[in-house]
Amino acid sequence: MGLLRYTLNRVLQSIPVMFGIAVITFLLVNSMPGNPVDLMLAEQEASPELIAAIEARYGLDEPLHIQFLNYIGASWILGTVGIPGFTGSPPGLLQGDLGFSMYYERPVSGLMVDRLPPTLLLMMSAFAFAIVTAVPLGVLAAKRRNKPADHVSRIVALIGVSTPSFWIGIMLIILFSVQLGWLPSGRLVYPWRDPSHYGLSSQLELYYQTVRHLILPMVALGTLQMATIMRVERSSMIESLQKEYVKLARAYGVSERKIVRKHAFRPSQLPVITLIGLNLTSAIGGAVLIETVFSINGVGRLLIQAIQTHDYQLTLGTTVVIGFVFVIGVIITDISYAYVDPRVSYGEES
Amino acid sequence: MAIGEQQTQEDEVSGDEFEANIGWRHTLAKIMEDATARFGLYVIAVVATVAVVTTVDANLSRLSLGRIDDFSLIESVWYHPERHPDPGTTERRMPPFFVDGGSLEHPLGTDRNGRDYISRLIYGTRISFFVGIVATGLGLLGGTIIGAVSGYYGGRIDDVLMRAVETLYAIPPLVLVIVFTVFVSGGDPDITYAVFGVGLAFIPVFARLIRSRVLSVREMDYVEAARATGVKDRDILRRHVIPNSFAPVLVLATLQIGVTILIVAGLSFLGYGAQPPTPDWGEMLRISHQYMHSNPWMSIWPGMAILVTIMGFNLFGDGLQDALDPRIK
Repeated sequence: MGLLRYTLNRVLQSIPVMFGIAVITFLLVNSMPGNPVDLMLAEQEASPELIAAIEARYGLDEPLHIQFLNYIGASWILGTVGIPGFTGSPPGLLQGDLGFSMYYERPVSGLMVDRLPPTLLLMMSAFAFAIVTAVPLGVLAAKRRNKPADHVSRIVALIGVSTPSFWIGIMLIILFSVQLGWLPSGRLVYPWRDPSHYGLSSQLELYYQTVRHLILPMVALGTLQMATIMRVERSSMIESLQKEYVKLARAYGVSERKIVRKHAFRPSQLPVITLIGLNLTSAIGGAVLIETVFSINGVGRLLIQAIQTHDYQLTLGTTVVIGFVFVIGVIITDISYAYVDPRVSYGEES
Repeated sequence: MAIGEQQTQEDEVSGDEFEANIGWRHTLAKIMEDATARFGLYVIAVVATVAVVTTVDANLSRLSLGRIDDFSLIESVWYHPERHPDPGTTERRMPPFFVDGGSLEHPLGTDRNGRDYISRLIYGTRISFFVGIVATGLGLLGGTIIGAVSGYYGGRIDDVLMRAVETLYAIPPLVLVIVFTVFVSGGDPDITYAVFGVGLAFIPVFARLIRSRVLSVREMDYVEAARATGVKDRDILRRHVIPNSFAPVLVLATLQIGVTILIVAGLSFLGYGAQPPTPDWGEMLRISHQYMHSNPWMSIWPGMAILVTIMGFNLFGDGLQDALDPRIK
């Protein structure tokens, strides 16, 4: 029961943050000198009527605070309640409406439904790759402290945190796609699509292709995560191995393998979970770059396209969604932390 | 931190400056003992020298060209006089000298405009180095002020400031910087905007750390004593709380310079950082990305340069951490 209440609490706590994300993004996008319409129309020659029509359509003729109320959907609520002046306002963020993309001529929320899954697939596989490689290596490094295995793992971690993920991506493409021709250099094959969409005959073949397309971007995005997790896993494991109860277990003649697996491992995972939560921001930022390098049509690439095409509402919508994804990710890591660590009091009065 | 503090307390004989000196010398000596940290320091020294020399060189040529009228201090850091390809070198995308078709005249070949690649790499050091330091410095400044005020006063102010910081933290730095650079510049992004964007994006990281440090330092007896003798809050913050919170912040700042360089490289790679013709490693990768098939070498060098530079800061930062806080190892 406690965990459920804790979850609810965390979700409630994040509401002001989500509101803040909408405020900051809105202010940033509107901080631009001049009118967003100028940017939308770019170099096109436009009549005053056209400009006025666009302004009216996107509500840009209103004062900024009204625009914001419109955007987050507060106007819509005020309108439905029947407050004069707000009647007939379009729905906004609170109603799940992220606005309308001028370039794609589609609602932004519809675009998100298309673009969010590839980004999530990429990020999740990158984290999976990072955890699967970093945890055993970190444990190994801690066990063989100051031995060759430890030095190698530290060098790998150092290079991992010092290398731009997009450059790793480029290098992987050059090596494995261009030179060796082993793996495809871009785009993803989505496992949720019908195999016939890609001209494949079976589901199994589809999964095989998905994996093949995913490997390079996954490694490129996951390397930084792997390096940071490995560092924390190592130091956390070293700390655990020096704890009194581990010494006691050792004194009782418990085998070293069993000590590592049964006594030291689990408590060492807590800092790793925290780290994964903190790393979400760099992973999302990295996803923007990796999606560009590998031509993956995810949210990150959508943001860049939105900026390039001067699509004002799409830029706003993508940034807000990226912020929300991060907040939700942090909530999930917090909950798993509470789940793993029995000491966390679920924010109850004590 | 612990050691630095004890050290200064043990040597409590004379004024502030003297104590600080002993602490610094002690830290530096410990760093020089550590081979990897020493290596990091050397890398930083080389990068810094290259950055300063190229900046002076570029501005000297600007002076000789008589372009003093458009002088701006910020721009002078990444001013690049070379508006056109080097006259005389016509061959474009030449490979490095050890590959067929390369020559020692252009050791790492030429770019797509026929410009010498290695000299652009050398000039590109400026952006990474100065932006890394200045942007981190801005974030440090903003974060220190917000974190110190928040932690020291607590209560309502703390709530409001920390919520704001938390919100800022929720937008991934790269995304924040892209949106900031593009929109605040009015669709005409430039590296100057990127500096401020990164500074803004880093406020949360520093504010949170400073705040947590301040919360513990605030309870110390000497702060209590200062307060009892009627020292003003602002002076307590400035003279006692902030200096005593600084060691872990310094470590974070060093490591954060590496992160800044990563972000700015990514920004330029997407086309929103340094603008051509200014040589910049991220920008060079953006161009060379298009020639992955025909000339993969062009993609290798700028990435190596970024890697080595960031590695320098990371090694030094780790060494600094070990020197200041020997408990973590």
